[in-house]
Amino acid sequence: MADYSKHGGGGTSWPGRARLALAISAGKLAGASGRLFRIGGGTSLPGMIARRIDPNVLRSVMATTSAKKIVITGSNGKTTTARMTAAIADASGRRVSHNRTGSNLLQGVTSVIVNFADIFGRLDSDLLLFEIDEGTMPVAMPEIQPDVVVITNIFRDQLDRYGELYSVAKALDKLLESLPETATIVLNGNDPQVASFGQQARARKLYFGLRTTDIGRPVPEHAADVIRCIRCNEDLVYEVAYLSHLGLYRCPNCGYELPPLDVAATSIHLDPRGDGPTQVTMETPLGQLELTLPLPGVHNVYNAAAATAASIAAGFGIEKIPAALSNIRTAFGRLEKIQAGDQTIYLAFVKNPTSFNLVLRLIAQHPGEKHLLLVASNTVVDGEDFAWLWDVDLEEISPQVADVICSGTKAEELAMRLKYAEVPLDRVRVIHEREAALNAALQNAGPGGTLYIMASYTPTQELRRIMQKRGWVKPYWEE
Amino acid sequence: MANEQGKDTRLVLRIGHLYPQLMSVAADRGNLFAIVKRCKWRGIKTAIDQIFVKQTPDFTQYDLILFHGGADREMEVAARDLQLKAPSLREAAESNTVFLAVCAGYQLLGHSYKPFEGPELKGVGILDLHTEGGSTRFMTHIAIECEFPECGKQVLVGYENHSGRTYLGPGAQPLGRVLAGWGNNGKDGYEGAVYKNVFGTYLHGPVLPKNPWFTDLLITRALARRYGQVELPPLDDSTEQEAHAAAFKLAMAFKGTVSAIDATPWRERLSPGSTSRSL
Repeated sequence: MADYSKHGGGGTSWPGRARLALAISAGKLAGASGRLFRIGGGTSLPGMIARRIDPNVLRSVMATTSAKKIVITGSNGKTTTARMTAAIADASGRRVSHNRTGSNLLQGVTSVIVNFADIFGRLDSDLLLFEIDEGTMPVAMPEIQPDVVVITNIFRDQLDRYGELYSVAKALDKLLESLPETATIVLNGNDPQVASFGQQARARKLYFGLRTTDIGRPVPEHAADVIRCIRCNEDLVYEVAYLSHLGLYRCPNCGYELPPLDVAATSIHLDPRGDGPTQVTMETPLGQLELTLPLPGVHNVYNAAAATAASIAAGFGIEKIPAALSNIRTAFGRLEKIQAGDQTIYLAFVKNPTSFNLVLRLIAQHPGEKHLLLVASNTVVDGEDFAWLWDVDLEEISPQVADVICSGTKAEELAMRLKYAEVPLDRVRVIHEREAALNAALQNAGPGGTLYIMASYTPTQELRRIMQKRGWVKPYWEE
Repeated sequence: MANEQGKDTRLVLRIGHLYPQLMSVAADRGNLFAIVKRCKWRGIKTAIDQIFVKQTPDFTQYDLILFHGGADREMEVAARDLQLKAPSLREAAESNTVFLAVCAGYQLLGHSYKPFEGPELKGVGILDLHTEGGSTRFMTHIAIECEFPECGKQVLVGYENHSGRTYLGPGAQPLGRVLAGWGNNGKDGYEGAVYKNVFGTYLHGPVLPKNPWFTDLLITRALARRYGQVELPPLDDSTEQEAHAAAFKLAMAFKGTVSAIDATPWRERLSPGSTSRSL
């Protein structure tokens, strides 16, 4: 265990303990007042306040708990994978503490323990589940010392924040070397880069993924990031590509190929209308599972496989998995279906070409012409560089577009992108103000109509807050 | 109003898209979209060849060649492969083919690229310049002022994301003067390079969609090679102008910052979504 006393906080001395108690109390108070005044749910605020008072608050609590600690990281699918894992743990009789609102920077992670621990830093949980942003891993992992680390995938995501794809990957791979033999690394075997992780690590490795020709395409889509061999840079040959660069791959030059999958979806039936349910046969080391997921899309098959592997790694067994996953609901903003009076809204949080393309393909399967609201902003969480919009295949939906409202600080870029995807100009309008944009888009959808919203992180939260005021959704921290 | 659709002019623009998968890190394929659509809307056909590693076409057959950016790992693959293509690429440049080279593509059109770590990569030497890796990365909005006989003074806007510092020799002219951002090396105040019809730049964004004047300049020069001077009919560019204005405003707001994301106010970090940023 790391020696935290020299950092001036935490520790077992009276001043240290008093400081810890003060930090947790102040964090709890901040969270409560945040919720009381409805200013933001207290998802990262409690952690931030607590860390200001005692920078070692997370480290101190982690050092004394006997709960299992699972960390879930990667580009896409963290939130849903974490929710599925929590549901399985819960169904298996474990008491779970989880940053379920997807606030996954260091403050949000610290908020979990501030919210769940008592003021002495004691946790009444069997499982601590942390969804962690891949860029935050280098600082978060040493503080948490996890038993299980799940890496869902690595896609190009906010280049301006973390530099290039490979440097993120390199940093993650290096981190895994610090895990002890008793830990387990759960890796996506279909991701040529993620599958190569942990070769120098002492921890046990468990690979999950898809192994079927029921779905997929013969070559990766344009937006795919890693299609060259990790070892020798030769173009990989795909037997099938499921999603971006995820698939069954092999290097024709050096023979690098996907590892044997421990947890594998071997039969998949997706709903042809782009909605749920999804039928999956999942092979595991503990036996075969037949799963019915109420969620649409191949990405949710990955989430289910990752959650199944995480649960096995944490020792929950597999008996409760089918029941737990059959009741899973979409996480906040993950193509979330919202009833707005007699109208229906699908709210999708999109953050990179992969997630945006995925949503576009799903809604393209929904019948009829589409009314859209696209919102993008440049903030620290959404990224400053919005170039990736041009890797989104808006051309695929453009013939189905009845009308679009573009909003957010990147509204003009969105409108221009639509123009070059040949959406007729008279169907595109720019309305910067968020509520006015939502109203205009709902008006476009008409009575009983359906509106599709695709938005980056900050606007998704802003729109949801408006919908919450109107009574259409619960606050996201109560989800 | 529907988007424009020009009458067939019987003109064909031949485009060579170099390493469309390998060198495509920052969605620069938007540059190709801009060229193709702005030709289409004027009744000009485009024929696009995708050119991959190990292929050695005759580059002089193309009116326009696109060569975009990639990360260091991709750049190494491209640099090695480029040596096979270099003689024909040089011939194309000398015979007035238009090149648009962005970021790593720009660097590899020079003599050499010495990364911050790792061995030096040889370029094709079409542009008289060399590049050295720096310890910090310029990642911010950028605006530069250019001047060309066809269109006078014009502004290019985009986003730069590079650690390379590029130094021009006497055989290359800078593409423009930096108004906000860092440009070639963050010191001399210039951005990009021009030699004949070869244009190199650090501007992503992608650069062409929101700088329609530059797209049209490239198209005009590319057509001139085969058809002589062609007058491009004007298009309604109001959407592009609005995107240009928004990007210019951002560049000015972030002027002086090395990394735009680090310069974003701390309030945004504390509680994502608690405020809407207005710039």
